[in-house]
Amino acid sequence: MTLLGRRAAAPGTRGRGWTESWGRVALCGILGTLGPVGALGCRGKATTPPEGASSDPVRASALPPTGGDSKTKKGKVDGPREVPVILLRGGRVMTAAGEIFESGDVLLKDGAIAAVGGSIEAPAGATVLDVAGKTITPGIIDTHSHMGVYSSPGFKAHSDGNEAVAPNTAYARSVDGYWPQDPQLERARAGGVTTAQILPGSANLIGGRSFVVRLIPWARSAEDARFEGAPEGLKMACGENPKRVYGEKSGPQTRMGNVHGYRDAFQKAVEYRRGWAKYEKAKKKADADRKKGVSASPGGGKEEAPADPPARDFGLETLVKVLDGEILVHNHCYRADEMSLMLDLAATYGFKIRSFHHAVEAYKIADRLADADTAASVWADWWGFKAEAFDGIRENAALLEAAGARAIIHSDSAIGIQRLNQEAGKAMYAGRSAGLEISENQALRWITYNPAWALGVEDRTGTLEVGKLADVVVWSGSPFSVYAAAEQVYIAGELVYERGSHEPRSDFELGFREGDIGGDAEGVAP
Amino acid sequence: MSSLRDRERHRGGHRRRDLLRGLGCVGLVGLAGLAGAAPAAAAPPAGRRRGASSAGPTLALIGAEIHVGDGTVIKDGTVILQGERIIAVGDASLRGSLAADAARVDLKGKLLTPGLIAADSHLGLVEIGMEPGTRDDTGGEGPIRASYDAASAIRARSSLIQVQAIEGITSAAVAPSGGLLSGLVAWVDLARGDDGALPTRPRIAVGGSLGQVVDGSRAATLAKLRRVIDDARLYRKQRGAHERRQLRDLAAHPRDLEALFPALDRKVPLTLRAQGESDIVAALELAREEKLRIVIIGGTEAWRVRDRLAEASVPVILQPSENLPGSLDRLGARLDNAALLDAAGVEVGIAVLGEAHNLRNATQEAGIAVANGLPYERAITGMSLTIARAYGLEADYGTISAGKIANLVTWGGDPLELEHFAAQVYVRGAPIPMVSRQTLLRERYRDLEAIRRRGR
Repeated sequence: MTLLGRRAAAPGTRGRGWTESWGRVALCGILGTLGPVGALGCRGKATTPPEGASSDPVRASALPPTGGDSKTKKGKVDGPREVPVILLRGGRVMTAAGEIFESGDVLLKDGAIAAVGGSIEAPAGATVLDVAGKTITPGIIDTHSHMGVYSSPGFKAHSDGNEAVAPNTAYARSVDGYWPQDPQLERARAGGVTTAQILPGSANLIGGRSFVVRLIPWARSAEDARFEGAPEGLKMACGENPKRVYGEKSGPQTRMGNVHGYRDAFQKAVEYRRGWAKYEKAKKKADADRKKGVSASPGGGKEEAPADPPARDFGLETLVKVLDGEILVHNHCYRADEMSLMLDLAATYGFKIRSFHHAVEAYKIADRLADADTAASVWADWWGFKAEAFDGIRENAALLEAAGARAIIHSDSAIGIQRLNQEAGKAMYAGRSAGLEISENQALRWITYNPAWALGVEDRTGTLEVGKLADVVVWSGSPFSVYAAAEQVYIAGELVYERGSHEPRSDFELGFREGDIGGDAEGVAP
Repeated sequence: MSSLRDRERHRGGHRRRDLLRGLGCVGLVGLAGLAGAAPAAAAPPAGRRRGASSAGPTLALIGAEIHVGDGTVIKDGTVILQGERIIAVGDASLRGSLAADAARVDLKGKLLTPGLIAADSHLGLVEIGMEPGTRDDTGGEGPIRASYDAASAIRARSSLIQVQAIEGITSAAVAPSGGLLSGLVAWVDLARGDDGALPTRPRIAVGGSLGQVVDGSRAATLAKLRRVIDDARLYRKQRGAHERRQLRDLAAHPRDLEALFPALDRKVPLTLRAQGESDIVAALELAREEKLRIVIIGGTEAWRVRDRLAEASVPVILQPSENLPGSLDRLGARLDNAALLDAAGVEVGIAVLGEAHNLRNATQEAGIAVANGLPYERAITGMSLTIARAYGLEADYGTISAGKIANLVTWGGDPLELEHFAAQVYVRGAPIPMVSRQTLLRERYRDLEAIRRRGR
């Protein structure tokens, strides 16, 4: 907690200005002026966890529920919504699991994929949709979005992604800043995106917890949108951003200071965990003693009741969950040398980095990333907006793939997220143009299965395989074509977007559009 | 074939006779041989180019599907270059006049387009976005910096130039940013001459931005602009009075007022970044009253006033993917902005705006416009002729036409498709090396096994 104690003076006085120089490149992850966002849960009791409850902070499942914690709700993903049985018939089916059916069918039933193949018989009562000439893929997944925490319009009041009050805000959670009425969400959905990770920004060394959302149009709260059961992530950031944000405040000023910040944080987490383990052990012993009847003689004065539990620290608790593998680390990190360093640091503390983000130099250490089983979430072609992004190349993803590493195309942009399919296409064709053999299946996995893996939901979504969630996109043609459009988007079997006829809109834009006033407010979005 | 090209071919007639005389002495040169070579002819500074253009080697590009840039397409076309210029354009029949041993590049199965033109870019003014020490795209205090001359700060050796050039960008309008009147726009061609300089045409436009630039107010911004224009006229008429201190205080430094004179004379355009409907309307009114040539850059809500833009013949250069309601003057953002404008008769330019690193993505942006209703050939025109015309340089740039500078790109297929990259780029008549800092990095790290073995 010492880092938190050194609360930086006048957070955000420089406002958005410090990143506007980036022009239109919407790396909102480091933007921001911030009012302090409550670190605690948002749901009543959750803000005051019972002191000394017989909980084990080492395991999330044993913790008292705090608002927004994962695994606090039981039951079916997305709730028991009623969806019709739909058979998509005769499209080019790209499963992202290896197989491509030049003419195939996909059966969507009870929110799941019930069948995939060359020819499926329509069950009684199924709606059969002829999608000949179209392409069917899994829903697109983005590992890196700030939708809902850096919403559009970019009002000051919408800046909820960087709790830039201290370099370590492991206690902060994007779920608590998420605005489900962000108009960016519907545009992403129109681009075939069904799942996205909402990350805190990269102002901090440790920015806090991310959560994974489903792009359903009916969310009225962050919890409504949460991908139930998906592990949360931890946003960490290397390099320039933290030292720029804190260099003239309390520090870190340098990469040296950055690395000390990570080590210090995880060292404290190790000690915190030890303190709790000690307490638990003592408590267990006391409980056992009591059961054995020792406590039956309270006047004896020989046995000691366990000491008070250690004070609960939400930041350290987050880091302990990282050490235990329950929270997945997503590390904003550009340079090869820094990524190498972070792999070493993680190994020292015994945790894994699930994915580096941005990673414009990942191609320089593709072999090491493959060995570490750490994914790299990269752009197709962004580069040069800062020194650590200067060595970006178009073939980054393709070189990762060729080295056996796990490549992901991510957006970090509410414009880019609308066409991750095109970005994957650019990266694939750039690789091919440089003589690297990249298959359509591989490129499709950059925006489906691989991000699902990075988010820990690869057994639920990311491919068209029987039993998985029916997250499906019907494209007008090859998703790697600049001319392709998502025509139908399904989330857990429910049609959430149909181009030209069903384009659900957020509350915010209602009344601003042509035809809203004195016209048809339910009209199709332009 | 369009009447425009017929006219231009006619104009290039005398050059063609020169060519036919000279062809016999030029050997057969294939594309492969050219690709690796240094630019064959040094690009002289723009001021000298006309005198030099009738000399130099000749080259015939043969068999490509030529997308001229003005909407016309020539199948199995022929383009003849001499020195830095195009001297003839036609179909297969044009080859009949070529000497048997004329230098030819076989482009059968390929597409040929005009070199793409970046509008309102910071190319050569920025190396690394967040490093102020590498940025010269903005300078000075206050809203009026009209004399800030981009041409004086362009770095010809910027690594960004080749990154864009090998993907088909052959020219860029380089504009300062910041303030209300940001400064003077320069035009560069993306190949260095022997002297290391980029062929640069300075002061082709005055660039500025509307919006909440002055005192955080749209109205204050527009009022300031009108005062500056008034005072520029006043200062021009009564310079002596000003020097004798008999004139009222001016709204800007005399240098900044002087920089506006060519725009006041309609010799160069005033390019205005404007997004919202009200700003665009205000710009149109200002242009009408002050008799200015203006260009709208950005134009997020331009579709709302498309008929007025068409009536005033004001072009809009936009970035089609911009569809976020990012601020109140962008609530009308929509993907079919380009298509709506075009259908109303507005000239639509397409570019990656206010940028320097990924100007090359203009082709994707054009594809997005087409996917949202813009006719295909309009998209090609939007990246070439429309931008050249907006900056007043269509006599030299923007189409594959006799007499124009030979900035050309060959493509393996539809240049708007993500699948296709530029196969060979010609700047001022010479094939450029298809190498950039990025391709060098790629090759350095292509074989990590080898790096491991070397213990690097």
